[in-house]
Amino acid sequence: MIDAPLAGFLEEGLSIYVGTRDAGLRPNGARGLAALVEDGGRHMVVHLAQIAAARLLPDLESNSQIAVSFGRPVDDRACQVKGLFVETWPASDRERAAIEAQWERFLRQLEQIGIPRPATMGWVRWPAVGIRLKVTAVFEQTPGPGAGTPLA
Amino acid sequence: MTATLESLATCFQGIWPAQLFTCSLDGIPNAAYLSHVDYVDPGHVALSFQFFNKSRRNIAENPHALVIVLDPDTRQGWSLRLEYVRSETSGPLFDRMALRIEAIASYCGLKGIFKLRAADVYRVLAIEPVPEEIGSVALLARERGGTIDPVFTVKALQDLSERIHHAGCLETLVDAILEGLDTSLGFRHSAILVPGEHEGVLVTIATRGYPENGAGAEVRFGEGIAGMVAEARKPIRISGLMRGMLYALATQQALKQPPALTARRIALPGLPNPESQLGIPLLVRGELVGVLCLESEIPYRFHEEDKASIELLGSYLAIAIQNMQWQERAADHSLDVPAGERAVPSAPPASPPAAGHEVAFYAADECVLVDGDYLIRGLPARILWRLISIRDVTGRAEFTNRELRLDKSLNLPEWKDNLESRLLLLRRRLEQKCPAIRLVPRSRGRFVLEVEGAVRLRAEP
Repeated sequence: MIDAPLAGFLEEGLSIYVGTRDAGLRPNGARGLAALVEDGGRHMVVHLAQIAAARLLPDLESNSQIAVSFGRPVDDRACQVKGLFVETWPASDRERAAIEAQWERFLRQLEQIGIPRPATMGWVRWPAVGIRLKVTAVFEQTPGPGAGTPLA
Repeated sequence: MTATLESLATCFQGIWPAQLFTCSLDGIPNAAYLSHVDYVDPGHVALSFQFFNKSRRNIAENPHALVIVLDPDTRQGWSLRLEYVRSETSGPLFDRMALRIEAIASYCGLKGIFKLRAADVYRVLAIEPVPEEIGSVALLARERGGTIDPVFTVKALQDLSERIHHAGCLETLVDAILEGLDTSLGFRHSAILVPGEHEGVLVTIATRGYPENGAGAEVRFGEGIAGMVAEARKPIRISGLMRGMLYALATQQALKQPPALTARRIALPGLPNPESQLGIPLLVRGELVGVLCLESEIPYRFHEEDKASIELLGSYLAIAIQNMQWQERAADHSLDVPAGERAVPSAPPASPPAAGHEVAFYAADECVLVDGDYLIRGLPARILWRLISIRDVTGRAEFTNRELRLDKSLNLPEWKDNLESRLLLLRRRLEQKCPAIRLVPRSRGRFVLEVEGAVRLRAEP
């Protein structure tokens, strides 16, 4: 579903938001920390702070539906991955290094558009959890009339 | 931690992009960036609708939404649980949101393409802090050197007012305004534009904080922040301009639309990467006297708390400028003997000119070039050509505003000729492009044309 160039973009260190919904079709959302494309693009792992995931996991466990949006701060290139929840687990120390590396690249991008590093110092990253999803669709989301075009 | 919509006003400046979560009727969630969230009233917000995208389709079938916004002061995230109520395609709310979006679009050369289709109004059902996006007021205070006070304090406005009262002519007045905005309020980059000779055009008469003085730079109504302010006659405040521009440019990329080319003869001065811009219409009883533009490299320079002060300041400055224009014109009429009748000879140059200058007037374009470089056009060009021609033929160098007003060849409008601002513009332009030719004020309504070195005149059709 996700080819190598697109996977490179998604793992670049982007602004990530994860969306779910409850049984009443009321949406929920939280900030993501990092993403990793797996299994030749058929699966993806997204990491969230545990405190953020706590709001979404009840939805995922009840209906599996998940949407993850990715945006690159320096040029607003964006896309969205839709999928079905597979599993979740507490992130390990090994995963933490990868999460921090991606987060660091995200902060560097924010600096490039004038948002200083201290601005995000209060944001919670740890403890974190991993959420694995089966990718069902990918859509272009760069602002403009092309937003919504399927990418995979 | 509790919050009301009013207390989150700073979140609606667009400095950080908002995130919109929706869900289709068949249960597929959607997460997308959102250009603009605006405060409507204590129970409602409006979201910008610019493109027919998935979020919009979802809302049409399921009114529930969630928006996450960030407070630019504290960096605390807030989630707003929403329910769609209605879409507005006209009226004050729509106009306010459209103006901001169009101002950014105009700045990026995307006016008419990057536009608001509707202001979608939502009822706010709940406001909650986002626990993973924790902010800090202390952090903000440290970044800003310990203060988050409003900019337009009474003390600062008093200082500015004091400077304005000491100004004796239009030139010193506009300089005093910009200097006061810098030293009393900390706005280092500013410009004043006034309505030009031709309808629907603004011309720059004074700037501060830029390498080029930009005098004579023209902006059409509706073009850029200044032009949008003139057209709408409403203040425009844009924070996080880079965010907005990036969004607009991303749209442009998606549309494969080349940026519009502007054919200005003099470049309007501006910061290479402005983060905040504020345009204030200078209005007196509905008449546009000018536009004041401020910009900053700081993303959130113009605060919500300052809004009322900004509008008040605009009225005050407009009255000050208009009064000065009237005073100068009244003083001009009181001059008994026009200098033209006294034929004061020009002082000889202190030393023989090394090379001299060629001043060329192109009648068809009504513009003056000095040594082949564009200087100015329109009325200031006609005035310079007239003055320098009189000096060339008669040797007279002292002139009055009154004789210019009476000079039929200059074609000044009978009513509101704005002569003083045109002379100021000409003086500034000469200072920058040709310091060897100067208009030196002698007294109110009277000035001397000083020329260093020989001048060759060339009239072209």
